[in-house]
Amino acid sequence: MRSALAYSPRPGPLRDASALAAITYFGSLAAVALASTNPIVLAGAGAGVAVAGISAGAGRALGTAARYGLVLGLAFVAVNAVASQRGETVLVRGWELPVLGRIDISLEALVEGAVLAGRVVVVLLAFAVLSASVDPDRLLRLMRPVARRSALTATLIARLAPLAARDHARVREAAVLRGPAAAPVGAVATLRRLVAGALDRSVDVAATLELRGYAAGPPRRAAQPPAGRRSWRFAAAGVAIAGVGAVALATGAAGFEAYPTIELEATGATMGAALALPVLAALPFARPGALRPPRRGVAHA
Amino acid sequence: MPEPLALADRFSYRYPGAARAALREIDLRVDAGEFIVVAGRSGSGKSTLLHALCGLVPHYHGGEASGALRVVGRDVADQGPADLGADVGLVAQDPEAQVVGATVRGELELPLEIRGETATARARAVEEVALALAIPELLDRATDTLSGGELQRVALAAALVTRPRMVLLDEPTSQLDPVAGDELVGLLRRLNEEWGTTVVLAEHRLERCLSAGDRAVAVSDGAVAFDGRPADFLAWAAGFDPALATPAARMFDLAGIEPMPASVKEARAVLATRGLPGAPARPVARPASPPARLGRVALRSRRREPAALDATGLWVELDDGEAPREVLRGVDLRLEPGERVALMGRNGAGKSTLMRAAAGVVEPVRGRVAPPGGCALLTQSPMDFLAHERVGDELPGAAGAAALEAVGLGWAAERHPRDLSGGERQRLALAIVMAGRGIGGTAPALVCLDEPTRGMDRQRKGELSARLGSLATAGSAVLVATHDVEFAAGYATRAVLLGGGRVIADGPASEVLAGGWYFATEVARVLGDGAATTPEEGAEVLRAALSEAGA
Repeated sequence: MRSALAYSPRPGPLRDASALAAITYFGSLAAVALASTNPIVLAGAGAGVAVAGISAGAGRALGTAARYGLVLGLAFVAVNAVASQRGETVLVRGWELPVLGRIDISLEALVEGAVLAGRVVVVLLAFAVLSASVDPDRLLRLMRPVARRSALTATLIARLAPLAARDHARVREAAVLRGPAAAPVGAVATLRRLVAGALDRSVDVAATLELRGYAAGPPRRAAQPPAGRRSWRFAAAGVAIAGVGAVALATGAAGFEAYPTIELEATGATMGAALALPVLAALPFARPGALRPPRRGVAHA
Repeated sequence: MPEPLALADRFSYRYPGAARAALREIDLRVDAGEFIVVAGRSGSGKSTLLHALCGLVPHYHGGEASGALRVVGRDVADQGPADLGADVGLVAQDPEAQVVGATVRGELELPLEIRGETATARARAVEEVALALAIPELLDRATDTLSGGELQRVALAAALVTRPRMVLLDEPTSQLDPVAGDELVGLLRRLNEEWGTTVVLAEHRLERCLSAGDRAVAVSDGAVAFDGRPADFLAWAAGFDPALATPAARMFDLAGIEPMPASVKEARAVLATRGLPGAPARPVARPASPPARLGRVALRSRRREPAALDATGLWVELDDGEAPREVLRGVDLRLEPGERVALMGRNGAGKSTLMRAAAGVVEPVRGRVAPPGGCALLTQSPMDFLAHERVGDELPGAAGAAALEAVGLGWAAERHPRDLSGGERQRLALAIVMAGRGIGGTAPALVCLDEPTRGMDRQRKGELSARLGSLATAGSAVLVATHDVEFAAGYATRAVLLGGGRVIADGPASEVLAGGWYFATEVARVLGDGAATTPEEGAEVLRAALSEAGA
């Protein structure tokens, strides 16, 4: 059984869009998530990624990434709650922990950890959908003019996720095959193993790429078909998503302060940005006819 | 004298942070059109030498290099792999680590596209290399759905598609079945003869390729220990490092017969001049026991104790996301406790799937498979099992410490699994899959290993064989899927041959591994008629024949 994160061509507009357009589209969603501290805007970015994943037929990839993201997110929340000794709303006071001594757990630290986790999870989801639905060969060819002198950079960008996806099924099976007395392998350990393995193998793949002549000679663009309407739609949606994120940040609509007490910006602009993100994410998948109002028929007597 | 394709003059190299040099004062000349076989034990420096010849050493790996190395007229100190890539192709040890593309066609087209070939030229080159390597049916497959053997052929095709002047291959047959391995060596010979491609091939299983080579180079502890004709290499190996000698050469050495043969044909010719037994012109197809038939001993033991594995009418289909395909088609197989069984067959015959079905990770669509006393399965990559930061964390508690001691890794409890050698990782992974599977603290009734000898030299294979033998002595049935006929002959008492998802031969290893063209050991092919399968047995046969002839 192939990993859910492995690329397979799926019918739909994303398959026909250029790699650059797809990168712009998913990169914008990931960038907005990374830059947003406001949970409402972050939820909008998350919804946008979910809409994109489901519309692209990569629901399984979303589910798999969400499972790992959930465990990773819980780890972020736990670590932040223990590490950050700030916040006025103390929920647990004077908790005695080995090495760390007495610590307080505050609501603010929990919420800040959750926001941090949410940003990482949305980025993870965006890359999972990108990995499952955009041909990595096209990404690699796209990288050559940009990162011609560094096969490793190109490999890390274009091949890290496919390599991790390829390992995923094997590592998952190995976890099942462990003897009952062996230490179980949790999601965090699996994720760590996948990332470490993919990084290791990226170095080997980059070496192969060097030998195939990736860094030699003048940069050549592969003969790509001219950008079609679908590419423009994904690129435009990506630019619009980035624009909404930038405006929300610049106007303070995406404002959020966790300490000393939680201050959440929840104006109309915040809500508008959060709603706009999934709508913009859905637009490139909409059938052209669905965007136009139906023609009114003329009744003849 | 024409300029050599590669010339090393006192070339030395040390990996970053390494205490010892990986290559020491290498003097080596490679002329255009040569076919060189590089021999050496695991860790001797063979791979590093190949990496130096394509510029990955020192440019990609870093470290310190001294001396001079020129390849295709360029100084490797100044020009790296990208500059040499047009003239030098590399097929590395692990085919998974050198697949760049998502589809096979994309993989083969990429180097041509980078070089600016036209679409027509690309299509033709891809078609030709695919035909040469018998992979046209793989062209539109996703690379992550290919088996190890298929990946190996794709990696070779990608290295050859640009028609480099020199191709370097690091154990290219390690994942191939004997048929595909022989085909690959034949293809390399053809490339060498018809295209003039220089071939430098590093291998452990020299019996597969030595006869194809014009020259043999032995690397020992980072230095060139021998450089000369293949036949002279075998004479040298018999004296200085018998682990490097081919099975037929070892047989001759043990029987005191000279000269050493570099091929089965040469061995038969030497034996014929002495009036000793050699193989008949046709291989004898020995009647292996039919799969369902069990001998009287087996029937008696069946009544006494439960089988370690009982598969009946096992039918498995796999779906890689492209289309479901039948992998096992009605397999009947019963293994008794304590049996040492080699599971053999071509790439894609269903060996791994049979083991995975026994371990319960794939569901049969029909039939049943039951290992009543538990099944431990070690798949091809031991690293997949090592998920924790400390070796001791993999196997917790006193039982875990005892399990580590049992595999000789008690000393490594505080080490990171990545710091272990390949053999140590394999032992640790074996301990992990076996942990707690036996009943009452015993070993599991069935232990399966999928291609455990990949990349191992003969000494390490011997150690593995002894370890598996002690498991069998302790009562486990040990089933090993392998393409390594020589290892199977030394280790197994029974061999099962799969073909097209069915058991096509099942019987004593001495019979199954003596009666065919491909799934027969070199000794069996030399002596014929199933007289012997291992060098030791063969030497005994020859000594007996010699003394008979003397009498």
